[in-house]
Amino acid sequence: MADKRDLQTPPKKRSKSSRPSSDPKSSSPSLPPTPLSATPRRSTRRRASLHFPTPPPKKRKTPKSTAEKKQKQQVFYKKVVYDGGEFEVGDDVYVKRREDEDEVEVQVEEQCRVCFKSGKAVMIECDDCLCGFHLKCLKPPLKEVPPGDWVCGFCEARRLGKEVQLPTPPKGKKLVRTFREKLLSSDLWAARIESIWKELDGTYWCRVRWYVIPEETEAGRQPHNLRREIYRTNDSANIEMESILQHCFVMNPREYAKANEGDDVFLCEYEYDIHWYSFKRLAEIDGDKEDDDAESDEDWKRDKDSDSDTEEEVEFEEESTKNILAKPSRAHELAANSHKGRFYGLQKIGMKQIPKHVRCHKQTALERAKSTLLLASLPKSLPCRDKEMLEISAFIKGAISDDKCLGRCLYIHGVPGTGKTMSVLAVMRNLRSEVDAGSIRPYCFIEINGLKLASPENIYRVIYEALSGHRVGWKKALHLLNERFSNGKKFGKDDDKPCILLIDELDLLVTRNQSVLYNILDWPTKPNSKLVVIGIANTMDLPEKLLPRISSRMGIQRLCFGPYNYRQLQEIISSRLRGIDAFEKQAIEFASRKVAAISGDARRALEICRRAAEITDYRIKKLISTPKNASEGKALVGMAEVEAAIQEMFQAPHIQVMKTCSKLSKIYLTAMVYELYKTGMGETTFEKLAMTVYNLCTSNGEAFPGHDMLLKVGCKLGECRIILCESGAKHRLQKLQLNFPSDDVAFALKESKELPWLAKYL
Amino acid sequence: MGGENPAEKALILLRTRLCDPNFIFRPLCESSDSNYSKLKFLVSSSVTEGCNNSILLLGPRGSGKIAVLDLVIGDLLQEYPDSITVIRLSGLLHSDENCALKEISRQLCTEHQLLFSKMASFDENSQFLVAMLRECGLAHKTIIFVLDEFDLFALGKQRLLYNLLDALQSVTSQAVVIGVSCRLDADQLLEKRVISRFSNRKLLFLPPSKEDIQRLLEYILLLPTDSSLPTDYVVEFNAKLQNILADEKFKEIINTYLNFDSTVKDFLRYLFRAVSNMDLQSGMLSLENFKTALSNIQRHPKMESIKDCSILELYLLVCMKRLEVKEQNSYNFTAVMKEYKCVHDSFQTSDYYAKNVCLRAFEHLLQRGLIEFMDNRGQNQSVEYRPVKLLISFQQLHQGLKSYRSCPAILQKIMDREK
Repeated sequence: MADKRDLQTPPKKRSKSSRPSSDPKSSSPSLPPTPLSATPRRSTRRRASLHFPTPPPKKRKTPKSTAEKKQKQQVFYKKVVYDGGEFEVGDDVYVKRREDEDEVEVQVEEQCRVCFKSGKAVMIECDDCLCGFHLKCLKPPLKEVPPGDWVCGFCEARRLGKEVQLPTPPKGKKLVRTFREKLLSSDLWAARIESIWKELDGTYWCRVRWYVIPEETEAGRQPHNLRREIYRTNDSANIEMESILQHCFVMNPREYAKANEGDDVFLCEYEYDIHWYSFKRLAEIDGDKEDDDAESDEDWKRDKDSDSDTEEEVEFEEESTKNILAKPSRAHELAANSHKGRFYGLQKIGMKQIPKHVRCHKQTALERAKSTLLLASLPKSLPCRDKEMLEISAFIKGAISDDKCLGRCLYIHGVPGTGKTMSVLAVMRNLRSEVDAGSIRPYCFIEINGLKLASPENIYRVIYEALSGHRVGWKKALHLLNERFSNGKKFGKDDDKPCILLIDELDLLVTRNQSVLYNILDWPTKPNSKLVVIGIANTMDLPEKLLPRISSRMGIQRLCFGPYNYRQLQEIISSRLRGIDAFEKQAIEFASRKVAAISGDARRALEICRRAAEITDYRIKKLISTPKNASEGKALVGMAEVEAAIQEMFQAPHIQVMKTCSKLSKIYLTAMVYELYKTGMGETTFEKLAMTVYNLCTSNGEAFPGHDMLLKVGCKLGECRIILCESGAKHRLQKLQLNFPSDDVAFALKESKELPWLAKYL
Repeated sequence: MGGENPAEKALILLRTRLCDPNFIFRPLCESSDSNYSKLKFLVSSSVTEGCNNSILLLGPRGSGKIAVLDLVIGDLLQEYPDSITVIRLSGLLHSDENCALKEISRQLCTEHQLLFSKMASFDENSQFLVAMLRECGLAHKTIIFVLDEFDLFALGKQRLLYNLLDALQSVTSQAVVIGVSCRLDADQLLEKRVISRFSNRKLLFLPPSKEDIQRLLEYILLLPTDSSLPTDYVVEFNAKLQNILADEKFKEIINTYLNFDSTVKDFLRYLFRAVSNMDLQSGMLSLENFKTALSNIQRHPKMESIKDCSILELYLLVCMKRLEVKEQNSYNFTAVMKEYKCVHDSFQTSDYYAKNVCLRAFEHLLQRGLIEFMDNRGQNQSVEYRPVKLLISFQQLHQGLKSYRSCPAILQKIMDREK
C-alpha cells in the first residue's frame, strides 16, 4: 500500500461553481461537465423535493421507456430513460440504501456553511471537510478562488487543536445534506451500471458494480485518502431501477484533475477486492482485460459530444440507436477459460427451460436409492468415524487455542475410501460453527490437493494466494511465505489468525530433494508461524520413506484410518438408505462383507450397491417395456444383483474373452500353457511357440496357418494383454509370456466345444 | 455413367453399407442383452437422474466399442437435444494432462460458444472445468467425456483422471466418463485413489457368435427389393447369394477366416475385399470371390520376401542358419562370409561371388527385414562388423526354399542335412 500514496496526483483546487453566468447550464451545481448529462432530463414527478434552478427544458418528451413493444423475454438495453433520468450502461449512479430514502429531503444544491443559502454566487470548497462557502461570506472575504489547496477557517482551527463552534443554521431552516454528503456518510450507495434489462413483468432491473468509501474498507480511511475518493469493488448485484436516485460521476485521477465543478464528482483509482481486502490499480486491470470495451464506450460518448449542439438531431439519433440497442447485449469478448476464478460467459449455459425429463420425473424407490448411494451426495452424518473425528478436532482445537502452536503437524493415513478427507472437512465445518458462535478464536483454513497442483512447487503459490489474495510466481510466493512464517513479518491485517493447512495426497509433493515438503513442515516449528499442517496420504510409512529431517517433523502425531469392517460398511450403507425400501437386508450385508474382505473401501461398497440397484432397475424397465409380463419384476435388490455387481467390479474379463476368441487364438494360448508346463519357464520365444503350435496342429488334424499368421494372432492377444509380448517386428525372437495364471487359461478353454482336444494339453 | 449398370450400383451400395458402422451395428444392438442397450441405459439414466457415472468399454480391437458408443450418443443427442455435451479425447493425443485439460476447455468453449484462450494455464483450465461442470450440472446438462485409448491416460501420475473423477464427486456436477480401451486390465492400471473414485461399470465387447455372423452376412449382402435397382436383377442376385450362403464350401471359407480372426471389423474388411472382387459383367457374387479374398487377405510376408530373394541371398540366409545351428548366436557379415566360403569349399558350388557382391546382398537382406542388427549400439561401425540375427524361422526358410522355383539342389541338400 505504500506505493499508493506517491501515485496519487496532487488534488487540484476546485471551485464550487466557476464562471458565474457565462454558461446558463453551469448555474446548476449538480451538473458535472460530462457531455452526456449536459441535457438534463429529470422530471419533477417523483422527486418533488428536488428543486431545480434551471427551468425545465422546453421541448422534452415525457419520460418513457425506450422499448415500446411488449416483449416476452428479458430485453437488454444499452440505455434507458427511466423516471426522467437517462441511464446508460457504464454510468455511475447513487443507489438508495434504505427503502424510505426517497422521502428524506435531499438538498441538491450545496449550501454555504455560513449563511445557509445557496444562490448564484461563487462558492469555494474546503479541501478538508468538503463544505462550501460563498467567497463573500468568508472572513476575510476572498476575491477569487485561490490556486492550490484551500482549507476553511474551521478546519484550520481544528487542526490547531482549538474548539470550533460551527455556525448553526437559522431557525426553520435545517441543514440539509446533499447526495454526496449522504454517500460519504454511508447513507447511500454508489454503483456503476453494468447492464440494464426489462424483466418479464415490465420492471426494469440493472446489474450494478458497487463502489465503497474508504471507511467501509477493511483498512479504513487512510491519511492519503482524498475526501472524494471511493473504491470500485469486485462485487456486483442485481437491483431494481427504482432504487437508483440519480447520476454521480466517478472518474479516474486524470479526469478528476480536469473536472473542476460539480458536487457529485468522485475519484476512483483503485479496485477493492471485498474478499481479500486488497487494492488494485484500475488502470492495470482495465489495461489488462477491458481494453476494447472501455475504448468503444468512450468513442461512442465522444461522438455524442460532437453532436450535442444540434439537439434535434441528437434526439432523433438517440431514438434510433435505442431501437437498435433493444437487442440482447453483446457477448463479452473475453476468453472463458482464463482469468482464474472469473470465468466469463458461463451464465449463458443455463437452460432456456427445465427439460421435461427433470420436471415430470417421479422417482421410484430404486432411483431414490441410487441417488442417495451416489458418492457425490454428502450424508447428513458420518457414521463410524467418531473416534477419529474427535481426535482431529481435539488436535485442531489444541493447536488453535495454544498461543504458540509449535510444530503442530498431523499425518493422517489410510487406504482410499475410508473417509479421511471427509472427516477432516466435517470437523472443520463443526469448528466453523463454533467460530461463528464465538467459542473459539477465528482461524483461516486452506485446503490443497496434491494431485490438483500442476507441479509440487505450485503449492507455495496456492497458499500465498489463499492467504493474501495475490497471485505471484512460486519463487516469490515462497520468499513471502518464508518471511511470514519464519520471520514473523505480516502482510495483512488478519494475519495473527492461526492458519490450518490441509494437504490432501501429500505424497505428490515429494520432489527429488524433498524441499517442498521440508519447507512446509518446517514452518510450523518456527516461533510465530501459527501454522498447523494436516497431511493426508494413503501410505502408512510415508514419513519413514522421506529424509530423516522431514520425518522427524512430520511423523510425531499420526492418525490411522483403518479400512472399514463389514459392520461399519453395513451401517454406512443402511444409514444412507434409511427410509427407502429398495434393498434386501442380506444383500447389503453381502456387499459389505465382500468389500470388507477385499479393501474396506466405502466408495467401493456404495458403488456396488448402486450398481446392483442399476441392474435391478434395468431389468425391471426391460420387463415393463415388454408388455407380456408387465408387473412381474420385483423392485427389491437381491443377492443375485449384488453378486452380479461384484462380479463386474472385481473380476477381470479375460476369461470371457478367452472363451470367445478365435480358434487359432485358443490354440495359441494352449500352446503357451503347454510350453510353460513343459519347460517350467514363464517366458518363451515365438520360434519355440510356433513349433509347439505346429506340433499340436498336426497331431490333432488342424491346419497349421503359417508363422506369419500365427505372429499376427499373438500380437492381437498381446494387445488385449492376455499375453505380454514384444513388438511383432522381432518375429521369431519375440518374447512371450502369459499375463494371467495358466489355471485361468485352463479353466477358460477346457470345455471348449469347437476344440475338445485342447483339454489334453491343459 | 456408373448409374446405368445395376451391377455397379449394387457394388456401390454394398460398399457403402460395409463402410458405415451405423448400418452394421444397428441389428446387433436390438436385444436387451446387447451392450448397446446396457450402455444406453447407463448413460441415459445419468442424464435423466442427474448423477455421475464412469464406465469402461473393454474388448479387443475392432469389436465395435466406439461404433456402439457413437450409436448411443447419437440416439441420446436426438432424445435430449440441448442437454448433452460430448467431449472426446484420445490417449494417443492427450495423454499429457496439460494438453488434455486444454483440449477439454477448448471443446467446452466451442460447444457453448465461449471464447477460448490458448494461453490459459493448467490451474485455470482445471478450475474452468470445475466451474463448467457445476454450471452445466445446475442447468441439467450432462457432459460426456469419451476417453479413447483409456490405458494411455493411466500412465504417469494420472492427474487428469484424478481431477476428472474427483470433480465428479460433487453433487452439482452431472457427467459421464466413458473410457474405451482394448486392454482388458485397463482398470488395474489405475492408482488406488483413482480407482476408488471410479465407479467401475464395465462393458465387455466380445466377437460375434457364428449365428450372428450368419445373420450379419445376410443383412449386409442381400440387396433391398425396394431400391432403385431393377427388380429382376435384385431377385436373381439374392437367389444366387442365398445359394452361396447355404453352400458348405462357403461356410468352410468363412470359418477359415473366422478361425484366424473373429472381430467384426476384420470380418467387414474381408467382406469388402470379397465384394470388390465381384464380376461386373455378370453382376453376381460368386464363391470364387470369397476364396480369392481369403488368400488376398491372409498374407505371409516373410515367405513372399524369400520368393523374391536372389540365389546369393538364399546362400547367405542358409549360412546364417548353419551358424545358428552351430550355436554361434552372435555373428556378423565377416563370420557369414567365412561360412559361405566354407560351404563353397566343402560342396564345390558352382557360383561363388566376391565379397563386395555378397555385401550388397547382405545389405539387401537387411532392408527386406529378413535379418536385423542385434542392437542399436555401434551405429558408426561399418555394416560388416555389426552383429546381426536372423528374423525368419528355420521352418519357414526350409519351406521357402522348397517353394522357390530355381533353388539350387545343393542348397536344399544343405538345408536338409542340417535338419
